[in-house]
Amino acid sequence: MSALSNVKGPKSTRAGSKTLAKLAIRLGAFVAFAGILVYFAMTARGFTSPYNLMTVVEQSAILGLLAFGMTIVFAGTGTDVQRGGIDLSLAANAGLCAAVYAVMMREGYGNGLAIPAALITGMVVGLLNGIAVVSLRIIPLLGTLAVMNIAAGLELTLTENTVVSVSTPLMQVIAFGKFMGISTLAWCLIVVSMLLVWVMHFHRIGMRVYAVGGHHEAARAAGIDTGRYIYGAYIFAGFLAGVTSILIVSRLSSSTPGTGLMLLPILAAALLGTVFSRRFIPTIGGTLLAALFIGFLANGFQLLGISSYWVAGVQGALILLVVAVTSFAKNN
Amino acid sequence: MHQNVTITRRTLLAATAMITLAVAGPAVAQDKPLAGKVVGVTVIGTDHHWDLMAYQGQIDQLEELGAEVIALDAGRNDQTQISQIQTLIAQQPDAIIEQLGNLDVLNPWLERITQAGIPLFTVDTATPFAINNTTSNNYNIGAELALQIVQDMGGAGKVAVFNGFYSVPVCKIRYDQLMYVLQSFPSIEVIQPELRDVIPNTVQQAYSDATDILTQYGPDSGLKAFWACWDVPMMGATQAIEAAGRTDVRTYGVDGSPEYVEMVANPDSQAGAVAAQQPYEIGKQAALNVAAYLTGQPVPPFSFVPAVLINKENAGELAADFLPKQ
Repeated sequence: MSALSNVKGPKSTRAGSKTLAKLAIRLGAFVAFAGILVYFAMTARGFTSPYNLMTVVEQSAILGLLAFGMTIVFAGTGTDVQRGGIDLSLAANAGLCAAVYAVMMREGYGNGLAIPAALITGMVVGLLNGIAVVSLRIIPLLGTLAVMNIAAGLELTLTENTVVSVSTPLMQVIAFGKFMGISTLAWCLIVVSMLLVWVMHFHRIGMRVYAVGGHHEAARAAGIDTGRYIYGAYIFAGFLAGVTSILIVSRLSSSTPGTGLMLLPILAAALLGTVFSRRFIPTIGGTLLAALFIGFLANGFQLLGISSYWVAGVQGALILLVVAVTSFAKNN
Repeated sequence: MHQNVTITRRTLLAATAMITLAVAGPAVAQDKPLAGKVVGVTVIGTDHHWDLMAYQGQIDQLEELGAEVIALDAGRNDQTQISQIQTLIAQQPDAIIEQLGNLDVLNPWLERITQAGIPLFTVDTATPFAINNTTSNNYNIGAELALQIVQDMGGAGKVAVFNGFYSVPVCKIRYDQLMYVLQSFPSIEVIQPELRDVIPNTVQQAYSDATDILTQYGPDSGLKAFWACWDVPMMGATQAIEAAGRTDVRTYGVDGSPEYVEMVANPDSQAGAVAAQQPYEIGKQAALNVAAYLTGQPVPPFSFVPAVLINKENAGELAADFLPKQ
């Protein structure tokens, strides 16, 4: 943190109008979020029912966890999301892990082997990203795009593009279980969010990740092994893809093609999340809010009978808007 | 073999007659029996002609009967469809109609619909949790098409099968029926490994897969037929056969997409036969079943809407209703 504030220190003196603009954007984001919720509450039948609200939180768990992975990559590779790193392979990675888990279960290996195999697969894909970006110095957009294709290809090879069905008691608990009236998936989102908020915002490791992403050279001068942290960010994102894949397979009772399509919502959530933070940097809390926002948006659209195809369009528009607004605020 | 075909045809006629009775059964007396009722419709996708027609048939009929319809199209994404089913359950509608998708993915969630006390109806999806499944008689469709292939092949040769959607119940039935019929004709060999049809890029992928097979199995190989449980991949396969200049291989599919029916009706095309369904009627029938159930009338566990086998011989007579609208 000290490294980071030293770096940002001199800039913050001519803050006046800039701070005001940032404040306006942040407030605007919160007001827009609240406004859209109120609109849905007034127009969409059953939107505010407790069952529906809980459903949205549950539906946001998978998106949220993957978006956390993207957030950590953003944080570690450049808090300015336009010039920093990215992990385009995240969704395809989750699809591959899901395929590994489902195929191993089908072949009779059991959770004891299949779950670690899925997690390790995710981390290996993360490691590949690290090698591409850190060791081979390929720009992240291309490096992770290539890894995305590798992961998607391996998934197709494993599943032959078919649905691989699995059913276990553990999956039943994840998909349909409840504890204190809250579903397992919602618990997963809550617990992982809390853990990551602690690690990323209150623990030394998280501070250093932000330092590396915030100002690479300064972090290196302060004695941080920056390469190791970037490797770490990609591998941890891969680990989260592995964890999420278990939730995906549980929810769908199978590994199905199409997980890779989640890339757009993941990017939208992680980028939109930056608007909710004070300095427009990726934060776990911001991403959580953004993932819930996207969940509520999809839910509201469904309830109002607006085609789900619009959701993709709106997500794309949100990405454009967020990137434009934050870069405007930063360069103002 | 010929006898076999005749018997099946006769059975089909009898079945069709019974079906017509069954379909006509739960007639709805009132003008707007669903006035004030909310009905949810969830469908895996509408990118295919059959899917869109059946989906539209449900919505049109439900609205005509006075219902408020919440219609959700999952855009061919399983996760989206599960989310949409959850959202529908949260709405507590008076009934839900579900159309197609992967049964392994859907079944636990269809069970949730029933557990929430919402009457479930399905289109083309056989599940123990539905009150009624409205569909074509896929057992007949599968057997009829298989027998047509056997007849065209002269009871011997090789057939290449696309089997990418065995987890979709109607495809499973049609595939199983094909294999059951082929058991009686040991001179017909199914090429291994089987091909996999995909969504999206169905036509392009089928074109390229069929081209590979045609290269591997030349004019003297005995390859005579391509089969798929629907007709979109067969459009690609037919084009591949024609591009390869082969006249010894024909394609066979199910559904009755206008473009494929047009191919079957064209004497110069290598499209051999198609079991043409009436998806719009199927959708309407599902809506009528909902109305019947909600007004307290008995509803059978399944409603069959007749399908027509269009082949090279009868296309002139039967294809007209299924051709693209001018």
